Amino acid sequence: MPLIEAVNLTKTYRVAQKKEGVLGALRGLVRREYKEVRAVEDVSFTIEPGEMVAFLGPNGAGKTTTLKMLSGLIYPTRGTARALGHVPWDREDVFRRRFALVMGQKNQLWWDLPAADSFQLHKEIYSLPEDEFRRTVGELTEMFDVGKLTSQPVRELSLGERMKMELIAALLHRPQLLLLDEPTIGLDVVAQVTIQKCLKEYNADRGVTMLLTSHYMRDVEALCRRVLVITHGHLVYDGALAGITEQFGSTKVVKLQFPGEAPPDGLEEFGEVTERAGPSVSLNVERSRVAEVLEAILRRYTVLDMSVQDPPLDRMIARVFEQGRAAHELATGPAA
Amino acid sequence: MTRYLRMMGALARYGLARELAFPNNVLAKVTVEVLWLGLLMAFYRTIFGHTRVIAEWTESEYLFFVGCYFALAGLIETFFLSNCNEFADLIRSGDLDFLLLKPIDEQFLVTCRSIDWSTAPNVLFGAGVMAFALVEGSWAFDAGRVGLFALTFVCGLGMAYSFLVILTATSVWLIRNQSLFEMWWLVSSLMRYPREIFNGPLASPLGWFLTFVIPVMLVISVPASVMVKALDPAVVAFTAGATVVLLVASRKFFRLSLRRYRSASS
Amino acid sequence: MNSLPAPPPEARRPSPLRKYLKIFRVSLTERLVYRADFFLATVLRFLPMVTTILLWSAIYDGADSPEIGGFERRQMIAYLLLVHISRMFSSMPGLAFSIARDIRDGSLKKYLLQPLDMIAYLVSYRAAHKAAYIATTALPYALLFFLCREYFDGFPDALTLAAYVASLLLGFLVGFFFEAALGLAGFWFLEVTSLLYIVNTVNFFVSGQMLPLDVLGEPWAGLLKALPFKYMAYFPAVVFLGKVRGWDLVLGLLAEAAWAALFIVASRLLYRSGLRRYSAYGG
Repeated sequence: MPLIEAVNLTKTYRVAQKKEGVLGALRGLVRREYKEVRAVEDVSFTIEPGEMVAFLGPNGAGKTTTLKMLSGLIYPTRGTARALGHVPWDREDVFRRRFALVMGQKNQLWWDLPAADSFQLHKEIYSLPEDEFRRTVGELTEMFDVGKLTSQPVRELSLGERMKMELIAALLHRPQLLLLDEPTIGLDVVAQVTIQKCLKEYNADRGVTMLLTSHYMRDVEALCRRVLVITHGHLVYDGALAGITEQFGSTKVVKLQFPGEAPPDGLEEFGEVTERAGPSVSLNVERSRVAEVLEAILRRYTVLDMSVQDPPLDRMIARVFEQGRAAHELATGPAA
Repeated sequence: MTRYLRMMGALARYGLARELAFPNNVLAKVTVEVLWLGLLMAFYRTIFGHTRVIAEWTESEYLFFVGCYFALAGLIETFFLSNCNEFADLIRSGDLDFLLLKPIDEQFLVTCRSIDWSTAPNVLFGAGVMAFALVEGSWAFDAGRVGLFALTFVCGLGMAYSFLVILTATSVWLIRNQSLFEMWWLVSSLMRYPREIFNGPLASPLGWFLTFVIPVMLVISVPASVMVKALDPAVVAFTAGATVVLLVASRKFFRLSLRRYRSASS
Repeated sequence: MNSLPAPPPEARRPSPLRKYLKIFRVSLTERLVYRADFFLATVLRFLPMVTTILLWSAIYDGADSPEIGGFERRQMIAYLLLVHISRMFSSMPGLAFSIARDIRDGSLKKYLLQPLDMIAYLVSYRAAHKAAYIATTALPYALLFFLCREYFDGFPDALTLAAYVASLLLGFLVGFFFEAALGLAGFWFLEVTSLLYIVNTVNFFVSGQMLPLDVLGEPWAGLLKALPFKYMAYFPAVVFLGKVRGWDLVLGLLAEAAWAALFIVASRLLYRSGLRRYSAYGG
């Protein structure tokens, strides 16, 4: 049985339109105008126990809205979902004890107190038995390597340390499902890597299912084999990370190194030149023409070295987003 | 139930720890409250220099009323007011989401989240004023009155809490950035004076409305009257009934506001 | 309810009428909620005035003489209403707090980097806010004073009215620069906010918002009338009521102007030496 099952999840909400100026404000007092915003539309997917899945999408694509529906914070306008066998927005206590949501931009711990105090409170809220609680705290502080830091006021911790504390707090009640919204936002590379490592280890140890959104492709590459790409509220891709290249990458990057100081002229006819550095050149070549182009180049020039690569993943993703927007605009007219 | 009590205990401990991290702040707040009480006393002393009775309340009776108000308002401020005041901010910042995820009653988490210890001394000051007023008025001990006072004081607390919850819940709909502190101060101005001042062709019906339809005026008037003035069993019974109705109604309204929050936000 | 037989299938289908009733209800609540929002705040703001009037009526009902501190019943209530007008000009909610905060968290820099004088900027900002506030509340206040017209002896003569307006405008200056000077003390004391709470509480009493200073009797009344706080509430109100006349009025206004000037100079000096101290520390 899948751990999460979402069918045609849709969320539309209305925002009041603000008018400019004093006159507009006065008019708004009498009559307000609303705009319908479709945050998520007909999103369906399933997630099996133990999976680590990434949600990708540009800002405002509907990632967080979907996470909020799955955690039962908001009602969908349409569609159904089950998480851990519960309808999330019924918000039964049993359900709320079995998952956790961590948001990178939000702080759940008491700012002026040591994290250990927040953990204690958490223990009371989730009614955790004392011995089990102690054991879990011990395991987690060791795993995240934060030993003594739990007795320092949270406001004195670095951003990375604070994020670790947030994660520990979220894991204290041993949730079976962990929803992570931008868990590494604002962190430096070292802290990012540590957090990734801990999450990966925790997933491998406990088989906890994780669903995360992130802007950092590095997070995604390090953690998730499967990605869901969402743009403008629509799910446009669901599959392996590597599959994105096959589905959306219509070109390959051909890198050539020529003898001498500068590359020869006339390369433009083979494809778009994306980079020139001394005698080296990168060409974007359509996938189907790669063999033909290579043959022609080798026939015409002397080449010292060459390689054929997939375009970088983040550029691919950007392209997927762009296509999503184009499709969206085609359907609804360009955004005002 | 024990779970909630334990949680209250933990919250009280951490609230105290947090306040004590900034002792000057606590000291200043307590000073302000003492000053305020002193000013109120000075005000009424001045007034009673010119009159012997205000709306059927003599000076010692009135003093008891003021002490009762101070103690009850102190309890509301200590346990609920600043939590409720943060509700609008929780909505705006989205941090309310975290509270809703916890397997705990939402109303409990929103209204009892932390304890503001700096206003706790008010309860003692209020009690002190009440005791002083009883001595001044050479009050004869009466166990029945004390018992009924305790009961109606708890009722008053329950009603004041319900009004606060209703005001808090409205912030889900209110677009304006109105501070709950201010709204509460304005609404509680109806509790600060004895019911009997609502006297006259226009004020009497208003006083009736605020006693029987929206029973704000019962909050302090009833416990204070029970202790130092005529004891009317019907009023006590009505107060107890009104408390139950208000507690239930305010809870329903609070839940409605959360439902609205969850269907309107994204 | 459970024992009722199930209705026939046709009856279960919602009728179109119900749909439109529902739409009507939703739109109506939305409109009402939106307006309620606006009016709730206005209505609530008048509650304390109602209770104040009633309290003082009750006080006069039980009083030994028809006059308290030289105020008879109608005058007293008129005074307590007029105090609100005084406060509309002289109260500066949050001014000192925001100055102290800007100093503490360093956002004061924005005034140093831009060709902008902080105090001048704050004065114009405040004045604009006050103007907008007075404009939006003019109607409800006009209604209130109309309803309470029996407490007044009609409008005072043109000269008194001119003096009243002058006392209100000077009251704005006294209120603004007093608060500004307090906030600027934040250059020297980090914990200025605690002090502010205390000052604001005391101010409520000594400015005459709770009762006219005369009621306190001597020596308190004389003492408090020599201090600048009375210009933030008491003084404009008694000017309007015609209780200060002739030379007393002229001297009162001159003293008010002098206090305003003193606070202006004080805050300028505090600002300048504060900035020197601030830049000496390196911000």
